[in-house]
Amino acid sequence: MVPLSWYLILSAALFAIGAVGVFVKNNIISTLLCLELMLNAANLAFVAFSIFQGTIEGQLFVILVMAVAAAEAGVGLAIVIALFRNRETLDVDESSLLKL
Amino acid sequence: MSNDLQNYIPLLMSFGLASLIATTLLITSRLLGPRIQTREKLMPYECGNDPVGNARDRFSVKFYLVCLLFILFDIEAIILIPWAVVYRALAEELGNKLFVYAEMMIFVATLFVGYIYVWKKGVFDWSK
Amino acid sequence: MTFQQLLFIGFAALVLGGGIAVVLLRNPLYGAFALITSFVGLSALYVMMGAQFIGAAQIVVYAGAIMMLFVFVIMLLNVRADEERPPRHRFLVWLAAPLALLLSAGLWLAVAGVQGDRAPSGEAGTVERVGKNLMTRYLLPFELTSVLILLAVVGALHLAKREKE
Repeated sequence: MVPLSWYLILSAALFAIGAVGVFVKNNIISTLLCLELMLNAANLAFVAFSIFQGTIEGQLFVILVMAVAAAEAGVGLAIVIALFRNRETLDVDESSLLKL
Repeated sequence: MSNDLQNYIPLLMSFGLASLIATTLLITSRLLGPRIQTREKLMPYECGNDPVGNARDRFSVKFYLVCLLFILFDIEAIILIPWAVVYRALAEELGNKLFVYAEMMIFVATLFVGYIYVWKKGVFDWSK
Repeated sequence: MTFQQLLFIGFAALVLGGGIAVVLLRNPLYGAFALITSFVGLSALYVMMGAQFIGAAQIVVYAGAIMMLFVFVIMLLNVRADEERPPRHRFLVWLAAPLALLLSAGLWLAVAGVQGDRAPSGEAGTVERVGKNLMTRYLLPFELTSVLILLAVVGALHLAKREKE
């Protein structure tokens, strides 16, 4: 049987990878992809605790997180499109000003 | 192997069969098929005409809005499944069919508002 | 080492490999495809744990809908790979690797000793169990989810739509 700590270590490693990606990526779409990675690391921990404690709440929360992730991706990518329309770039360092 | 994972052996077999067929088709066509390359053959195929312009053109943002609607209905579909599975049992347990039905209909109606809003905003009007 | 543990290591390698590829690949399109393999590995892990519904939802919602949205926007904007460019703050590059290791070590220490209360059973995450709880005890969060998605669609529509000139 796979112990709980294995799942949690995997979740922690995935979260660390996602966090590093958010910090080092220049392209805003890549940053959003790494954000999804972090959300999934949290999901894995939720499901692992839910299964190993015999409760259902963690899994229901994951469904909620999935809806939030869909909303986040939809609005975030719409912002990316609007940003690209105004600046012609996707580099996060290039869009550091509120006004053009 | 634990007992509950044995249920997934058919799924594994179907995956294996699918990848086997795909690789076999690719490898046999590479081994057996004649390869004579001409300039016309290597051209990108565009309904028989000569291709015009670059294939990596930017798309209209309208496609993104249609994609957004797909996400709306995708989440609705995945939420409908557990509801449909437990509907009968839950209606008997609570003794109220209408309540279980209304629960889901409120959810669907809320998402339908979004659909109507997108429609009214003219996303499906491709001529504009 | 049991067969299940071997299976876990295989899927975990898929998940971590996909995640690392997302960070390392310069082309966002390849990154998106690497993320899809990572999601497939996660879905297999959910099924292994006995959370069948979450495993299916992971494929349908994440790999199906959300990643499709990402790939679509990458095509829509015709994103190319990031070009190499000199880093602005050179010392930060040298700081990044130790800090990443520190973060991983800290997270590892926090979770490595955790023990589960009970052994997982195959019944833990069936569709029936999820549906029953979703429709009775957790009805309000479920209904509010629809409002959230509605708001997201309306907001995204306004942000992405080209304003009339």
